[in-house]
Amino acid sequence: MNPELKFTDVAAELYAPQKRKDDLKGFEYTYRAEITSIYPLTEMETLYRIQVVDPEERRRFAFTPGQFLMLEMPGIGEAPFSISSSPSIHGEVELCIRKVGNLTNFLPRVKRGTHVGIRGPFGTGFPMQNMHGQNVLLIAGGLGLVPLRSPIAYVMENRSHFRDVNIIYGTKNPSQLLFTYQYEIWRKDDIDIEIIVEKADKSWKGPSGLITDPLEDILSGRDSEYYHNTYAIVCGPPVMFKFVCNMLNEFHIPMQKMFVSLERRMHCGMGKCCRCNVGSTYTCLTGPVFDYWTVMNLKEAI
Amino acid sequence: MEAGETGTRTYLGVPLYRPRVAFFEFSSCEGCQLQILNNESTLLDFLSLVDVVNFREAMTGGSDDYEIAFVEGSITRDDEVKRLKKIRKKAKTLVALGSCACFGGVNQLKNRFKDINKAKKEVYGRHPIDSEPVRTLEDIVKVDLKIYGCPVKKEEVEKIALHIAIGKSIVFPKYPVCMECKRNENICLFELGEPCLGPVTRAGCDSWCPNSRAGCWGCRGPADEPNMEQMKKIMEEYGFSEETIMDRLECFGGFSSLMGKGNTK
Amino acid sequence: MIFRTFEKQELKKLFEILAAHNRIIGPVETGRDRDGRPVYAFADVTDYDDVELKYSITKLPAKRFFLPFKEDLSTFRIENDTWQKEISYNVDRPLIFFGLHPCDINALNKLDKVLLHSVYPMPYYAAKRENMFIVGMDCIPQPYCFCRSMGSDTALHGFDMFITDLGSRYFVEILSNTAFNFLKNIKTSEPGEDDHVLYMKVVAKRNNEFTRHVDTTDLTKILDMEFQSEVWKEWGDKCLSCGTCSSVCPTCYCYGVDETVDIDLKGARKTKMLHSCNLIDFAEVAGGHNFRPGRENRLKYRYYHKHRGFVEAFEESLCVGCGRCGESCLADITVPEVIDSIRGSGRNK
Repeated sequence: MNPELKFTDVAAELYAPQKRKDDLKGFEYTYRAEITSIYPLTEMETLYRIQVVDPEERRRFAFTPGQFLMLEMPGIGEAPFSISSSPSIHGEVELCIRKVGNLTNFLPRVKRGTHVGIRGPFGTGFPMQNMHGQNVLLIAGGLGLVPLRSPIAYVMENRSHFRDVNIIYGTKNPSQLLFTYQYEIWRKDDIDIEIIVEKADKSWKGPSGLITDPLEDILSGRDSEYYHNTYAIVCGPPVMFKFVCNMLNEFHIPMQKMFVSLERRMHCGMGKCCRCNVGSTYTCLTGPVFDYWTVMNLKEAI
Repeated sequence: MEAGETGTRTYLGVPLYRPRVAFFEFSSCEGCQLQILNNESTLLDFLSLVDVVNFREAMTGGSDDYEIAFVEGSITRDDEVKRLKKIRKKAKTLVALGSCACFGGVNQLKNRFKDINKAKKEVYGRHPIDSEPVRTLEDIVKVDLKIYGCPVKKEEVEKIALHIAIGKSIVFPKYPVCMECKRNENICLFELGEPCLGPVTRAGCDSWCPNSRAGCWGCRGPADEPNMEQMKKIMEEYGFSEETIMDRLECFGGFSSLMGKGNTK
Repeated sequence: MIFRTFEKQELKKLFEILAAHNRIIGPVETGRDRDGRPVYAFADVTDYDDVELKYSITKLPAKRFFLPFKEDLSTFRIENDTWQKEISYNVDRPLIFFGLHPCDINALNKLDKVLLHSVYPMPYYAAKRENMFIVGMDCIPQPYCFCRSMGSDTALHGFDMFITDLGSRYFVEILSNTAFNFLKNIKTSEPGEDDHVLYMKVVAKRNNEFTRHVDTTDLTKILDMEFQSEVWKEWGDKCLSCGTCSSVCPTCYCYGVDETVDIDLKGARKTKMLHSCNLIDFAEVAGGHNFRPGRENRLKYRYYHKHRGFVEAFEESLCVGCGRCGESCLADITVPEVIDSIRGSGRNK
């Protein structure tokens, strides 16, 4: 008997082109993607349009609103970003990125046409189809409008499937408002939109205060039929969604119809590195989109 | 290629920044500068990232036209104060290179003496020199970046030059040396009966000393939010005297701001 | 399961035959501590006499051979302002692990659950795991082992063969046909009834030697109930946040990823480094917000992940009770004491 062990080459099929969740070669596989447009939104945020290069891969790259992807710039960094565009366009995404780290400070300096790597899409999304025939409240604070833009796009494209749709969006000051050029278009699609800032400046004509102010106005004029048939999507900093969700709860919006998107540190997106764990739940697998019942059961979520 | 010129070299399409840099030394052994020259295999790559216009240990002559000044050593004399201020005026960015520049280094041990003249007499005898209590660079001028270590780790300096070139931020490990020491599979120094400051000292040295079975002396200063109180308890439990503990903590000056404070958080 | 017995000198023969063709990792003595006790580690062995089969426990587990502290997930060739990604799973040959104790074998079984048998299996681990041949070895219970409380004192699977010392000769359980065929190279015999009796006696004696125990009954619930307990603060005050417990843990797999550019700008790499949930920056996000700013938050999370989250996901805890973390912790934070204190904290209120 030959006592020499045989080597099993797990990497042999590494570069074969298919990809599934249980597929070993999918783990570190990146789609090569091209930055096709770079559009500065504010001093801190830039909107990037990114397209998968290979036509076959582009056709297959699909996501649901609320999901995120990992964007990699070789040698500079890799980080998670929520997808901020319509799910009906395959192989192309819009990412709105704030300058906070190595990768996000490097990106504004690259030229159009630069290739990046993307992995994903990862995580859970908002159950848009379950919301058909229902009212929808889309509530965002600060950068929270970024992940919300994908469900907004879905709602616009399928407007007839929804009843009343309200967007409520607040930032600290007017200069931080994102996608200002889109508000009118949203309104024209029969979407009610309330914008509020915490600290108004001279140029600001709209209301100022907390995001819960317009929310309370909207909710207090409604009846229980509305409350029971309303979905809410809440994105923003933890303090904001704590107050917003408490208010939605007071008005008896069903907990399983309230959705939040959590932000955590992530290094893999696939339930391995553990950096995103909330209590002992992987934000990247079970989230980032959670219903409020789940959030209530998570330690250290809010 | 001239300094600051960005025409030719790029990384993924983004032009590199090639700064004019100068190296200076004050009271020190100049060992940190020597470290930088120490590894021939990457020296040319390093020099291609920066335009060295003044480096006494490596070149003759020198220019006063620089953007980044790497300054080694602590300040012990009045003329050094003047010279440092002059460098600060010229440099856009002033980098404290090594533990002497950051914390005072071994030099600052003399600050322990109540009467500095006694120390001077002991060391220099009948040839007295001008020597005042040791100060760090930061005691005198604004410091933009500190590179810790006695000596600095060459790989770390190279990485910093690279990050300046491509525009990545410069970050140091926030955790203590133990993490690197375990990665290197060393036997814990306490287990061997040696005192060690690894649990509270900033990592980044790749546990240089423990790799040679020598306990850490804390040359890189404290990690983020070190548990000083527990460190002292451990030293006592393992039978090390107050003096042994203080000798280590005071050796490079990095812990002086935490002395007697116990827990920082 | 197939059993065999063989004379003790036959083991050396087996080792030498295997060593002639394969890389073998085994327990060796790497030094003596301040009390003169031997310190053991897993290392490459070529000489049977270097293998310390009666070792107590190694300071670090064999983790670095299948979950290295540092490994490149990918490298990039940078040319003409664009890149080519290259992936290697960083393994090119099988490894034989000679003399793993049940705790370390069970640690592998636990890691398999999350790294192999869940969504997104990790190929870097799979490629190494696929190429392991494990010779298990029975152990002598140590005062800090609480493996029996964690159900990890015996290994039921996850090895190729497992050797128990019957005193006069070895008793071996054979789990793989590779092992069965390897054993054809030495003289073995079918165990008789007297061997069975002797085996049971040896095992019973060992079972009585475990002295450290921890009560894990209802622990998942208790951890939830005592989430705000003051006890965590007390342990947090002691914790050095040095990460040693994770580094010496045979089941800790959390990591961070770092991207670096080579100094010649011709290449870049994406490097995975094992991290520890006790390190200060574990849950810090870009922009600076830290979701676990305090030492006690991080220490609590470690227990939460191991003794609650993993149980929720896989019906067992992510701890084999080897006791390495407590032994290596300079602040004397041990798992049995922490769990006891959490169980007790309700009573003290």
